[in-house]
Amino acid sequence: MTDPVKSVPIPGGLPHEHGAVGQSVTRYGGVDRVSGGQRFLADLSFPGAAQVALVTIPLGCADILGIDTSLAARLPGVLAVVTAEDLPQPVPRFGVSHQDRPVLATGRVNYHGEPVAAVVAETLDAAQAAVRAVRVDYRELPGVYTLDEALAPGAHLVQDQSIRPDDPKRDSNVLKDAHYAWGDLAAAQQRTEAVVEHVYTFPMVTHFPIEPGGTVVVPTDEGGLDVYSPVQHPYLLQRTVASLLQLPLNKVRVFAPDPGGGFGGKQNPKYEPLMSFLAQRTRRTCRLVLSLEETFQAMRRAGCRIKARTGFTRQGEITFHELDADYLIGAYADVAPRVMAKGSYVGGGPYRIPAVRITARAVLSNTTPSTAFRGFGSPQMAWGTESQLDAGARVLGLDGLQVRRRNLVARGEAFIRGDHQATADGDWAQSLEKAAELVGWHEPLKPNRGRGIAVGIKPGATSGLSQSLVRLLYDGSAIVYAGTSDMGQGARTLWQQIVADELGTPVDQVNVVSGDTGAVPFDLQTSASRSTVFMGTAVIEACADIRRRILDLYAETTGVPAGELDERPGVLVTADREMPLVEAAREALGPLRGEFIGQGVSRLRGRSGHPLGGDAAFYEFNCTAIEVEVDPETGELLLTRHVSVGDVGRELNPIQVVSQDEGASIMGLGHSQMEQVLVDEHGRIRNLGALDYRIPTFKDVPVELVTAAVENHDGPGPYGSKGISEGALLCTAGALGAAVAQATGVVVRDLPLTPERVWSAIRAANADRSAAPRPE
Amino acid sequence: MRYHRPTSKADALAVLAAEGDRARPLVGGTDLLVGLRHSTIAPTWIVDLKGITDLPEPITLTEDGIRIGPTMTLGELVAHLDVRRSFPALSEAALTVGSVAIRNRASLVGNLCNASPAADTVPALLVLGAVVTIESVDGARTVSLADFFLGPRRTQCHASALVTRIDLPWPPAGTGSAFQRLTRRRGVDLGTVSVAAAVSSDGRMSLGLGAVGPKPLMAEVAEPVDLTDEPQLERVLDQLLNVAAPITDVRASREYREAMLRVLGKRAVLAAAGRRTRMEAA
Repeated sequence: MTDPVKSVPIPGGLPHEHGAVGQSVTRYGGVDRVSGGQRFLADLSFPGAAQVALVTIPLGCADILGIDTSLAARLPGVLAVVTAEDLPQPVPRFGVSHQDRPVLATGRVNYHGEPVAAVVAETLDAAQAAVRAVRVDYRELPGVYTLDEALAPGAHLVQDQSIRPDDPKRDSNVLKDAHYAWGDLAAAQQRTEAVVEHVYTFPMVTHFPIEPGGTVVVPTDEGGLDVYSPVQHPYLLQRTVASLLQLPLNKVRVFAPDPGGGFGGKQNPKYEPLMSFLAQRTRRTCRLVLSLEETFQAMRRAGCRIKARTGFTRQGEITFHELDADYLIGAYADVAPRVMAKGSYVGGGPYRIPAVRITARAVLSNTTPSTAFRGFGSPQMAWGTESQLDAGARVLGLDGLQVRRRNLVARGEAFIRGDHQATADGDWAQSLEKAAELVGWHEPLKPNRGRGIAVGIKPGATSGLSQSLVRLLYDGSAIVYAGTSDMGQGARTLWQQIVADELGTPVDQVNVVSGDTGAVPFDLQTSASRSTVFMGTAVIEACADIRRRILDLYAETTGVPAGELDERPGVLVTADREMPLVEAAREALGPLRGEFIGQGVSRLRGRSGHPLGGDAAFYEFNCTAIEVEVDPETGELLLTRHVSVGDVGRELNPIQVVSQDEGASIMGLGHSQMEQVLVDEHGRIRNLGALDYRIPTFKDVPVELVTAAVENHDGPGPYGSKGISEGALLCTAGALGAAVAQATGVVVRDLPLTPERVWSAIRAANADRSAAPRPE
Repeated sequence: MRYHRPTSKADALAVLAAEGDRARPLVGGTDLLVGLRHSTIAPTWIVDLKGITDLPEPITLTEDGIRIGPTMTLGELVAHLDVRRSFPALSEAALTVGSVAIRNRASLVGNLCNASPAADTVPALLVLGAVVTIESVDGARTVSLADFFLGPRRTQCHASALVTRIDLPWPPAGTGSAFQRLTRRRGVDLGTVSVAAAVSSDGRMSLGLGAVGPKPLMAEVAEPVDLTDEPQLERVLDQLLNVAAPITDVRASREYREAMLRVLGKRAVLAAAGRRTRMEAA
């Protein structure tokens, strides 16, 4: 068993000079993915399946007075119309941190789109007709849709107090809070020469996976359930369904077809418990394919308001930093309390700050439950903190690079102090300098242009367990069983590369089995950019296990004493030569043939008492620098150059690192420039769907998009790697905001920086300027 | 729902006459399919016009101008050199519709008949003096495009009729045209505000305005304008943009639309005038 953090030497040792690792090996399954060959959940065929459609009401918060299903149930082709009354009582609830989410709305709708009933019918048309025929009698309640509404005295409580009877905060909409503080604030203020104090807002955004997804549940002849759902955490889904339906784990088999984009939104169960009850009740295969609109109502990122007060010395050293952050989460907890706690833990940024006080709250509202989303609470805090550094720099006459140089921690230096300190696990200044160089920080600027630079940090996983099996077959090909969900990040390609180097098998003779809890060993989750480090280590272990087994059997078969043999990646070392491992394996197996099976486990236990449940296995660190041209008449932005540099440890597959960084950069531009879920006074999403919820297209990609990596082989993962999949969106907003401020002379503190918002800010500044008395 | 693919115009018109509101014509389907998917329309007949052999050709050049038939796609339109040369505002406008894939399916006639106040090609067609021919079993008639639109999603082409052609006269010598549009993002978006301008050799001008009223709007000044006279140009723009009545919606506020109309209007006029000068020099 290997602990990926403490293991010495690093798993897999140094990268092999001529191996597959470190090469831009073509994506496993990539051709199918871009050519339409890949079969997503909606493409899978389930002959005779019944179709499911959900009944909702057009309000964000209402008491359900009655549901009349009689007309719908009589329609042709309708098999069942199920409401909360038809489920076990009390209606089962589930959730990650709180068991607060009912399988179907019971008595009350708590967010726009929360299903109040489900129809099972022979065809989708019949199901949809029946949905229209269900009569729901309801009364609107004064729901809370914004932070101010949710936090107002006497505000409507999103959750009934009985759901969390032991919680002292049950009589408020604050679900959880976090406090991090160190240093002597009073003393720090004494030596402060400039203070900046501002409020920043970060919008609610939705994940917008190109594959909306869905769930199909097949009741098995043995009384179990096969659950098909394109999720990031198949084993969590298995546990949730088994527990809600009181089945043993081996009776619930989760098939997780590759998600077509997850971004955190496909981590936790949503409609799978409902679908499982429907399948159990009807004894039919039940199929639900979501629309994009339904995914908007099923997943989003928490919005956030950050009040920040920051002190500086005249030289630009930060003396203190105070943050009050309110995360606007949805109607149920999902994993949102942890998003708040983990995001605000690094809220102060990777800086050397003598005194810090951070208070953060997860505030319930009658909106889509917010969940994990690439960056996990960090982008919100980075928007506030990075903008504060630039605000300080402007006051002091410094630039964005100078102020960061002055405050960024060095390797091994603590950026979180106090009882649970965290230290820099990389030479982060290298990323800062590289980004500055690549963006041309010191080059003269053309008119209406500006540059901004920002850094972002995110803790990786704080606990983890990945188990893997590798089979080396007689002919030298290999099969890897690894439970990582491949949602576009290309995890399977890395397992191929690792096995190729560790066993000496050609990359194209390694295939990977995943997405089936009935065949693949346990993996805790595919999240927090953990898989390279955790599953990668498990795969290396499994390969080492195979090498040991080959050595032992070779000794037994040939009579050569085991003590005279040794093994290394790809080879068996005998007294007189290095044998290709595959050849040695064949010789060891002999005429009966057979195969070698290796097992690998990578476990990181948490640490009790730690606010995050443990120390992060690694930190993702990124520096983003942006040059923008602003049209002062329209407020439109043209990004002329966008640079992202990540501290990656070691690139196992350079093209995949570039792809992840480019994807994250563009995604970061989404929440920075255009994305926001807009909610009306009844809690309804106003821009529900692709038409009015805008994400970047390829035409919105910066003129020059440059990504680069700093490699110091200093990560805990295979060959010194770190997780890298989120870094490039952590601080996009801060870099863009600073660039726009330089280009226009106007600072915007609310995201996204839409043309209209930038135009309004410029206009307001011009009005102020013309109203102000002219200096003599 | 029944899919019908007639081979003659008469057959198509007969079906439309019999079915009325229950039938919908199909060319590219880029609006129709969205409506079907969101259940905003529920026709029982889909009449595909692409198999009809006696409709006007996609594009015909005549002595008087160009004639565009119902199956002309926006993709073909933007690639057409004569359109680019003589009707640059239309080329520019068509190039902003959707994406390459959408333009390869979507028809110009469909863009008109969908009658969105934000239809990208309409402001350009308005200032270029387009005339449309509407046919039904009762016969054919022509109306100027300015009279074609009645309101949001409503035109003079009723459910039993088809627009069978659009005629665009060759612009008078020395006329320039241009199109400007503002969107929330650069790729695949609906216009927040759009403006097309045509400026004649002597400085007379017309503007076509999109997304700033219940239907696409047009305004013109009969008197020549001295474009080098900034105050005069501003006054004329005030007068031309007076017809606009933008609203606040999820895409933009009224204030922003009003301000952008002004910015884009001026840019379109100057771009159109610049093309006019180049043409004269050539």
